Amino acid sequence: MPIKVRIPTPLQKLTNGKPEVECSAKNVAEMVDVLEKDYPGMKDRLSEGGKVRRFINIYVNDEDIRFMNKEDTALKDGDSISIVPAIAGGR
Amino acid sequence: MTRDEERAVALTIARHDLTTILDHCSAAYPNEACGILGGTNGRVGKVYPMRNVRPSPVSYEMDAAEQFRVMKDIRQAGLVLVGIFHSHISSPAYPSSVDVEQAYWPGTLFPNYPEAVYVILSLRDQGQPVIKGYLIRDGAVSDVPVNVE
Repeated sequence: MPIKVRIPTPLQKLTNGKPEVECSAKNVAEMVDVLEKDYPGMKDRLSEGGKVRRFINIYVNDEDIRFMNKEDTALKDGDSISIVPAIAGGR
Repeated sequence: MTRDEERAVALTIARHDLTTILDHCSAAYPNEACGILGGTNGRVGKVYPMRNVRPSPVSYEMDAAEQFRVMKDIRQAGLVLVGIFHSHISSPAYPSSVDVEQAYWPGTLFPNYPEAVYVILSLRDQGQPVIKGYLIRDGAVSDVPVNVE
């Protein structure tokens, strides 16, 4: 069973409107590369200098990767990934 | 455009829900407070006061884990994200340049939550809080009336 990735609305332009895509990868960094291959432009949207962009939250089975191993967080078939923009602002 | 986006011509909120927002923002004063509004068809069904992990009089950022839980709760309740609220301490109830920047995916003009009304509560005059709603998308900020029932 592949990894399922929920794609947030602002990135669905890259996935031809699909809210969920599937891929195979052994960790989050590799998942970003695989998504880039299937949906060009995805890597730049998600990461900067090999790190997940600030204000972008990635969850593996409901757990924030910041509290796991960040980009090195291991993935396995059947995992469910969510990409969620942070909600912030102020002044 | 989704049906919910089409309907975001006004946001309707019950008085007791407005009180929840006011209480949450007043409790955080003099720091900004924030929260999420779940509902349907532009009508608020549930207010989620959220933790501000960057508390100051000029900034807010929702707790990522709490945000994830709440969005799941909203989906499971059959609701959608109809609004995102935060307070302004010393400025009017209008999105700041930071608010606008953060409404879009980093480095793009793709709105993060195009269906959400951004609700801002100004506590500049604590005796007379002002609440207003906006859509932030397509590179523009547009007014959305907030109706209290």
